[in-house]
Amino acid sequence: MLFEFKDINYTLGNETKRNIIVSGAVKNGEVLIVRGPSGAGKSTLFRILSRLRPGSGGEAFLMGKSWLQIPSTSWRINVHYLAQKPTLFDGTVAYNLAKPFETRVGGQRKLDKNRAKELMKQLHLSLELWNQDARTVSGGEASRLAFIRALLVDPVVLLLDEPTAALDEPARQALYQVLSGWLKEPNHTALLISHNNDYRQLEQLKYLDIIEPSKRRD
Amino acid sequence: MENSVIPITNFQLAFTFILVFITGAISSFLKLGLLKPLIWGTIRSFVQLTLIGYALTYIFQINNLWLIILIITTMCYIASRAAVKRTPNVSDYPTVLAFLSLVASTYLVGTIVTTLIISPDPWYSAQIAIPIFGMILGNSMNGIALSLDRLYLEARARASEIEAMLTFGATPWEAIQTSVREAIGAGMTPTINSLMVVGLVSLPGMMTGQILGGVDPREAVRYQIVVMLMVAAAVAIGCLILVVLSYKRLFNKDGGLQSFVLSSRK
Repeated sequence: MLFEFKDINYTLGNETKRNIIVSGAVKNGEVLIVRGPSGAGKSTLFRILSRLRPGSGGEAFLMGKSWLQIPSTSWRINVHYLAQKPTLFDGTVAYNLAKPFETRVGGQRKLDKNRAKELMKQLHLSLELWNQDARTVSGGEASRLAFIRALLVDPVVLLLDEPTAALDEPARQALYQVLSGWLKEPNHTALLISHNNDYRQLEQLKYLDIIEPSKRRD
Repeated sequence: MENSVIPITNFQLAFTFILVFITGAISSFLKLGLLKPLIWGTIRSFVQLTLIGYALTYIFQINNLWLIILIITTMCYIASRAAVKRTPNVSDYPTVLAFLSLVASTYLVGTIVTTLIISPDPWYSAQIAIPIFGMILGNSMNGIALSLDRLYLEARARASEIEAMLTFGATPWEAIQTSVREAIGAGMTPTINSLMVVGLVSLPGMMTGQILGGVDPREAVRYQIVVMLMVAAAVAIGCLILVVLSYKRLFNKDGGLQSFVLSSRK
């Protein structure tokens, strides 16, 4: 297994607490679709898997190595979470795409400008955006730029939280096209949250349903 | 130093009741509800200042290094408590971190001033050290309170940026850089601004005091320059140390943001 998580345990809700336990595993090139109603804790699961927040139990393994053995900085690069709401920093689009390579760990690599521009073309983004102020791009452009940036980080596991929510149909298809190309490269896999079943062109799909425990008992 | 200070007799001091009366009249006329605090404040300032006057006279006579250190360190502790209380956006903050930043910045800058610049004999002369350290402390206290509050405020406002940086493999320190810079800047700005307008908009209290005490204004100005620059240095050091000591409290052991930083978001 390229990526595996066992008995990840977390609590949701303030008033009525719900405890959730999930497990899952993905091989090279597979995509695990995480399904469940709004508020079921899908994003929370992704945040725990990428170690942005702690869960209350369970363990995840990247290429067989436990997260206890991998420093959180390099774990977060390799199990990379792309939030639903894209985060762009003050500066140009180029500056934003180079942002991951500013850190000490990420800085061991450089921004591949040709690759970045190629991805922009594939995702129907004009290259005129390159030197544009990131605050002036549209919502759809911002979410595609954040997706490109996540691919440039080149993780092993990509945790995609509704990556197409702000996109129109052609842009969605383009995004899944690029994603499926990326998944064909070795040591790549993805987990995906999507509410619109728009990912049909992806191959090797697996499903994980997050259901409230009360319903599970029926 | 020529001493031409005009003493205020007890009888003359009593006339300050006219000033209290004016303040009280305004308060009651406008129903500000400030009469009680005004009277209480007046009594307290009389008592506290009288006591400190006697205490300082005594301390200046003894002029013992360890006593001076004890006094200044106690002042640092009181100032650190006051600073932590003045941060509406921060909760559960340990006073000891504010105390450490104030002790470090105050002693470092204060010692430079008393040993190299003013250099009285002995260098720790209480008459110089206590007012100098006190002025440094008063300003650093404001500076670190502003910095601390701003650090928490910025971290909340920039939580998604900080998390994005974490997903790029940033350490907490790398991820929170922008907030750190804003926080230190916020602490230093009032001091830097005061360097711009000093002498034009206001005559600083210390210089005014010296002039009233009969010191040649040109001499008082030299002291004031030292004071302004030492305050700026102490504020910068204090804010830097405080932020370095504090930012980790915004992160959990695994280097993710604490939930209280995120909770203001949806």
